[in-house]
Amino acid sequence: MMRTVEILLVIIIITGAFIISSMFAVLPSPRQVSPLNLRRLALTTLQSLDVNHDLSDTAFRPVNDPAWGQLQVAVSASLPPNIVYNLTVYEVLDTGTQVFTLVKSISNAESLGVETDASTYLSASSNVTFNVVPEKIGANGNGGTLYILNCSDAMGWWITGYTSQSLAQDLYQLLSPYFQSTVMVQSTAQLGQILNGTQLQNETLSNAVVINTLGEAVPIPSGYYASSGVGYDPTAGSYARYCYTLGSRVRQYNWTWVSIVGYPLYYVANTGLFPSDQNSWGIYGMKMVNAAGLNAFLRGLDNQAYSYDNTWITGSPGIVYMTTQTQYYCNYYGVYPSAYQTATRSLPSSIQGTYHLNATTIVFNQVDNWVSGAVYRHSVSGSGNFTGSLFALGLTRSPDIRLTGLGILCDYKPRLYRSEYSAAGTSRLIVLQLGQVGGV
Amino acid sequence: MAGATIDHLVSVTVFLAAILLFISLFNQTIQTAIVYQRHRNLATRCSDLLDNMLLTPGYPIDWGRMNDTPTSFGLQDPEFTQYRLSPFSLMRLNYTPGSPIYYDKTGQWYSNITMGFGQSLLVPYNEVVNYSYATKLLGTNNTYGFSLTITPILTITIQEVQSNPLNLSVNVFGSGFPLAGANVSYSFLTVQGTGGSGPYPAYTIEYGDALTNGEGVAYLSFPGYDTTQDSYCLLAYAHLNGLVGVGYRESVQYEGSYVVPLVSDFETGTVLIAHSYDVHQGDDPAEIAYNATFVLLSKDFTLREMPLDNTTNTGKIGKINYGYGQPYNNITLSTDNPGLLIITYRKSAQESGVVVMPWGISSVGFPISFGGDVSQKEWVATDTRQVVVNGIAYQAKLGLWDLQGYQVIG
Repeated sequence: MMRTVEILLVIIIITGAFIISSMFAVLPSPRQVSPLNLRRLALTTLQSLDVNHDLSDTAFRPVNDPAWGQLQVAVSASLPPNIVYNLTVYEVLDTGTQVFTLVKSISNAESLGVETDASTYLSASSNVTFNVVPEKIGANGNGGTLYILNCSDAMGWWITGYTSQSLAQDLYQLLSPYFQSTVMVQSTAQLGQILNGTQLQNETLSNAVVINTLGEAVPIPSGYYASSGVGYDPTAGSYARYCYTLGSRVRQYNWTWVSIVGYPLYYVANTGLFPSDQNSWGIYGMKMVNAAGLNAFLRGLDNQAYSYDNTWITGSPGIVYMTTQTQYYCNYYGVYPSAYQTATRSLPSSIQGTYHLNATTIVFNQVDNWVSGAVYRHSVSGSGNFTGSLFALGLTRSPDIRLTGLGILCDYKPRLYRSEYSAAGTSRLIVLQLGQVGGV
Repeated sequence: MAGATIDHLVSVTVFLAAILLFISLFNQTIQTAIVYQRHRNLATRCSDLLDNMLLTPGYPIDWGRMNDTPTSFGLQDPEFTQYRLSPFSLMRLNYTPGSPIYYDKTGQWYSNITMGFGQSLLVPYNEVVNYSYATKLLGTNNTYGFSLTITPILTITIQEVQSNPLNLSVNVFGSGFPLAGANVSYSFLTVQGTGGSGPYPAYTIEYGDALTNGEGVAYLSFPGYDTTQDSYCLLAYAHLNGLVGVGYRESVQYEGSYVVPLVSDFETGTVLIAHSYDVHQGDDPAEIAYNATFVLLSKDFTLREMPLDNTTNTGKIGKINYGYGQPYNNITLSTDNPGLLIITYRKSAQESGVVVMPWGISSVGFPISFGGDVSQKEWVATDTRQVVVNGIAYQAKLGLWDLQGYQVIG
């Protein structure tokens, strides 16, 4: 009998446990089981109403404007009959402790029920203009000068359809906002000055970017830099020696030398220095140094001893495509050149080993061993410090100057500071809160 | 001793019975909880799947303008962000409620969206994306079934109040409320029974604006126009605070024979001009002359005519007959922008009419219904978004159900 009593006690205990667990296991209502995503519905309603900026326009109207009544009709017509809403517009403040202040509220019900959800939408006044301030390269005290070679006494080559002056002007407009100072080098004499370490406009000379707008030609100053043993190689009868000196100066001042198109340093140009010489294609004031110019430059950059080497080192991979990183920065900086280009003067990747270069930015995907656009930074083995750089775009003519700008921006990555979106009086916050009526 | 044994037997029997009973009761609670979780999961998945469809353009991103089968399903307009859908991608969805139409001269079946006489969109089956393929692209085949409906938020019905002179009422209703105080911009097209280019019927367009009253109704009058003499169609756009809808009505003098436009090629914009008898049969087959025009809707709600390819004898204007030996004609539309193909036709000076075909689903506010049959399903989760299709406000609703059932053991 005792066992039966014990069992009955056990049954009572289990019954109690079941009742207690059932009390906690309350079944939700069907609306909770399969809820309508009110937050998304609210957001898409606001977006639909603002598709032609009508909602934003109304949000900035005076509170007694008839447009608010029209907005109420539009919201009511947009939403399903079982949805009630409360649309509230707030002014965004930027002073004091209060962030928002109520402007207007419209609703089609006294209460939104027990379960509601809301979405917010920030609208800007049509009177607002937004400003973007770029970070200045060199703002931390390291360089920040852009030299654009705009030498009036030197002709360009493979810049077909342009003049070096027009390219220089375009580059100035594209890149000067990103640099502490931008200096137009107006003559070969001024180029000689900066090669000597003399400032032109009190700018920071070292760590500068120097863009050669003459294409395959490079301006050469008369005098010292054209003299034998400095600019001229009497043994080879070539001005490749000047390119070696140029490479040495780039290393000395830690410049980034930019070649915008074709074979870098293939000619030297100075109309005063070579009045009766032509580049073999009928352009006077220019002398061909051939492939020896680039080889000498790279030796100078790497602080190797000068030797005349006329070996052709570039290749022609054909169509090349931008790297994903470059495409990302196209969007970031709003510069959109074609994503694929034709390359016929691409540098071999092997120069990295030969001349102690690191490709810090690759603009176009490598094809076989040809790199059609990259910023090569020279670094003495093990030092970790960069001493001079070369950015060469080995594309065919004519040059797209936006690629030059994009490559430099990709390498330096200056940030863009966009003006405050929520400035006082310019932004209003629209909150649409939805609730469901009817059903269970 | 015997008493203790009986006590033992009784107690064990009662205990086992009680345990079985409680296992059954607890199991029921657990089952309910599992079903609840499954339903909750289905609702979440429904919301995710709807966003997945509406916030991606698919691949290729402009598959709506191509003949290729997409390798990724999405309906977003590739030229915009957020919930703006491509009017062309929607055209390529198989319209579930429509009865398929067979056209003997091409030997093809056509997906059929017909909203009344002279308002149709017929797309060949080999060009449309069907439901089973879409479920594979979405990764829901054999696991979930869905039904996607995309309908205009504004319902605009146009009724004839008086026929001579013509008075029309335009009723504008939203999802839950009449659209009071809305602007109604309309284009009134009248078919010229006589005149036009030789035997080919031309049309004239009259533009105007009106305002809806507190009940969402606007009245339009056309003095001097007699519906017993001429055919007409009215295209009305209602707009208020960013909410835009479109309505259409037509009245034709002759329905015995007419032209039926059939989409042939999305990539080139080729549309076949077929005789109605070859498609829908009829009781008065006869040769008819037609005049086709492709128009775009401009920002001010007026229609802008776009040139059609007229390099061949068949094309923009022509005559068409029924039966064997009578080929269909074809025209080429601009594939860059959505618009409306308007074809006026005429058998005689007194027997004329007009038909339209939207190029891009939104041009006359056609709805879309795509997916499986929602009836007889144990539990269907639904979710809703407001979307915009080429400036026209639509509501997208997805119903989702589980194909694996909800059976639990016990």
